[in-house]
Amino acid sequence: MAADGNSKFKRIGLQFAFWGVLIILFGTLMVNFVNIGQPNQLSAYDDDWDDLSAFRQDINDMGIKTKSLVSSPLLLEELEDPRNVTFVIAGVERDTISLPQFSGDSVVTFASEDGYSPGEVDAIVEFVIKGGTVIVFEDYGYANTIAEKFGVKFKRAQLFDTVYVHELDYNYIWTCMQLSPCGMNGTVIDTETIESHSRWNSSDALSGRHICAVWADLMALNGTTISKDEAGLCAQHHQDGVIEYNASYQMLLNNITSIDIDESSKHSAMITQGIRAVSSSEATIDINGDGEIQLSTNTKTPDLWGQFNLSIEVCASVTCSPFEAGGRVHFIADGSTLINAIYDYEGFNAGKYGPVTKEIPANDNRKWALDVIAEALMGLDPVTGMPLGEPSPTAMVIFDESRHVQSNVATDTYNMLYFVLVYFTGEGLAKLLLFIGLFVLFEGVLLKKKDPDPWRHVFSIIYYGFGDANRYSYYAKTNKIKQVFLSKVRNQNGLTREEFDSMPARELQAMIADPVLVKFVFENRDFTLEQTVAIVKRVKVWGRV
Amino acid sequence: MWTRKASFTFAGGISLILIGMMISNHQMMILGLSFVAFIVANSWISGHGDVEVQRTLSADNLYKGDDLYVELLVTNRSSRRTQTLEVYDNVPHEMKLRSGLNQMKMNLGPGESARIRYVLRCPLRGHFSIGPVSLRYRNTFNLSVEEMFVDHHSDMIVFPQLRDVEEAFIRSRTPKMYTGATTLRTPGPGTEFYSLREYVPGDPFKNINWKAFARTGDLMINEKCRDAVTDLYIILDSRDIARIGTVLKNPLEMGTVAAASLANFFLQRRDSVSLIIYDEKLSYLPPDTGDKQHFKILSSLAGVAPKGAMPLQAVTNSLAARFSRGSPIFIISSCEGDGTVPAAIRDLVGRGHEVTVLSPSSIDFERLVSRIPRMSYEVLKIERQNRMTSLAGFGSQVIDWMPDMDLSQALLQVRGY
Repeated sequence: MAADGNSKFKRIGLQFAFWGVLIILFGTLMVNFVNIGQPNQLSAYDDDWDDLSAFRQDINDMGIKTKSLVSSPLLLEELEDPRNVTFVIAGVERDTISLPQFSGDSVVTFASEDGYSPGEVDAIVEFVIKGGTVIVFEDYGYANTIAEKFGVKFKRAQLFDTVYVHELDYNYIWTCMQLSPCGMNGTVIDTETIESHSRWNSSDALSGRHICAVWADLMALNGTTISKDEAGLCAQHHQDGVIEYNASYQMLLNNITSIDIDESSKHSAMITQGIRAVSSSEATIDINGDGEIQLSTNTKTPDLWGQFNLSIEVCASVTCSPFEAGGRVHFIADGSTLINAIYDYEGFNAGKYGPVTKEIPANDNRKWALDVIAEALMGLDPVTGMPLGEPSPTAMVIFDESRHVQSNVATDTYNMLYFVLVYFTGEGLAKLLLFIGLFVLFEGVLLKKKDPDPWRHVFSIIYYGFGDANRYSYYAKTNKIKQVFLSKVRNQNGLTREEFDSMPARELQAMIADPVLVKFVFENRDFTLEQTVAIVKRVKVWGRV
Repeated sequence: MWTRKASFTFAGGISLILIGMMISNHQMMILGLSFVAFIVANSWISGHGDVEVQRTLSADNLYKGDDLYVELLVTNRSSRRTQTLEVYDNVPHEMKLRSGLNQMKMNLGPGESARIRYVLRCPLRGHFSIGPVSLRYRNTFNLSVEEMFVDHHSDMIVFPQLRDVEEAFIRSRTPKMYTGATTLRTPGPGTEFYSLREYVPGDPFKNINWKAFARTGDLMINEKCRDAVTDLYIILDSRDIARIGTVLKNPLEMGTVAAASLANFFLQRRDSVSLIIYDEKLSYLPPDTGDKQHFKILSSLAGVAPKGAMPLQAVTNSLAARFSRGSPIFIISSCEGDGTVPAAIRDLVGRGHEVTVLSPSSIDFERLVSRIPRMSYEVLKIERQNRMTSLAGFGSQVIDWMPDMDLSQALLQVRGY
């Protein structure tokens, strides 16, 4: 009973140990992948001052579906109509999970670069080639894997410019969406320096103009006035019953970096690269991040000074026009361009997103963002190819939440598991592994999973034979037979052991009275098997009357 | 617990979902989801084992070889159906199902009952227990199966068989050693009426003659004739060596049959019988008469198992003081592997006991399970014969009991060697 108890305790202990080790291993694994950080920011689904809820709400109000992507951009491959989808990446706050995958030349590799795995970047490139629009807002994060694929590169160091908002601080930089930088007149933007968007203000009647300008012209030709609700995707330009498209954008950025053009890594499928916004020529970049600007070449890491790119557009078509096939990518050197505080500055200043210490000045971030959306998602007449003002029926904006640090374990674990799921159903090598895994699973079920045996009463009485087979040969030896025979003689004649031992041989011979047995008793020699058998027979019958 | 079918369905569902995701096939994913949903939905409609069981046995005590009638009543005490419920009554594997089945599949509604009837044959003596009742319930689609048991046991004792030995003693060529209870014409404990006397304090009330009290007004006591009884001692060898042979035919089994039959015979004659069993220790049941003693002896014999190697002389030496003077002693032993047997018997005979050695022939039992070379067998037999002869030489009655020989037939050969 005690042994049973010990065995039971050992078994329970072993199980505890097993599950303990398993949980520790799983926990260790999760700690490597689950990254709990600051409260969620730059999320389209939170409504703090540093989230993107106002932008998403505007999109929804225009009748466009919005979705979040919490797993992996691999899912972009599954979209049926990428032409009418815009993928928004606002801040890449964390690295990808390094999982094995096939590279282009069918070699198994691990994603070692920042931000996105090669498979995910390829999915984004394919998405753009098929006509999708991507907007990448990034400053010091991990977006370079995407950027480099499109021939640009984020500097990932803070840029300081003289064109900043004096009422706030030097982190708030003014920039204009135009090829030349806008300047300052005292503490405010010099309106004389504000020009127009380099692509959306072309003289080209169709492909060189913003789609809202084209649609406004169509409306003007028809001579119809429209309400703001009817203005659809161009409502941000609605004025007095008509669309008054204005291509100048005075953008407010916060904590920005710069974007370099990297021709060496330009993707072959991308045709056009256009700079859309630049800093002033007196901007500096704190390369080493020490908070000081040291331009001397004597320093170990000299900081940079000059004019830097703040926005670059890369297109899969020559004109970047929405009337041509192929999509585009907008790179903005600030991850917080569309945060509620700047995007919805009126709401922010009114205290909609919390207490206000300093007011955010008016800016055109919202107008620019909505113009990008209008260009990307406005429906075209299938016959004439002209814009319809309304979003395409399949229009959708997808916010990438997969690289945002989550504020709790459950959300981050969910995202991570979803990422793994998408990885195993989207990546070539993972698919292969998954097939093997499913095969092993089925084999395991086949081999290991047994139904309980049917009950059946078995009548079984233990057949315990007992005997000592070793002694049988001993009982066939001559000396043993002789001893048994002499015992028989002694018993038959009622003699004690002592009497028998002291008896003369002649008397014993007379007592035996059988010459063969006498010879057997008194002659010490070997007997053949036949002779022994004959002697045993004689011993057996000896003494019977 | 999921069945194999459920595991396959679930694994198939998951596989279909994943493969559907891989190849962007929504139909396949929906089919996979349906499989998984089917499993989940089924887990909500499982059966249960909330039943009450009641077992009835035809007898609590029976003799080896007898049939036992068992009835198991299963009642669903829940307000739900049991779904497919399998009931299995755990029967000791030493018992043989003679008719019926000790299991049944049922689907009982709330409050419904079902009966399982079966008959067992008990070929082995011993203390046995039927139970617990195992339950296995499945859901409608056989996707999950759970097992539990109801801890309901029925204990019983299977006594050794009783053989009729009276004929052996009637036809014996030797004078009757034991005459049984005889009445003496003196008052004392007994059964026959002797006389009436006046009540004295301390007399048991059950002996008061109430009719005489009614007639005379004085308390009168019935006095009985004293019965003279013989104290008979049966010594059973239960050492490990007594299990030579098969499970049904070995010196111990035959010894228990002999001890039970002899005890039954002498107790019926109102003799006083004692049972001594020695194996690794000594078990002594003091001499007594009556049905209670009979039950005690049979219970003891039912639980005997071969073990140990206590010498006979240790038994006789420790109990010598308890043996009534001149009382007959039956020693049931193969006399194998114990060099103290001759000395023990010599001592007992020397103290005036009538000693009878009933010795199952162990070499012949061994022959049932082991191929003994003919010559070795003959020599072994001669050696055993020598041993029996020497025991007889000490004045005991020796019976060489062969495996295929009936007990009464064996007892008939009581003779001097």
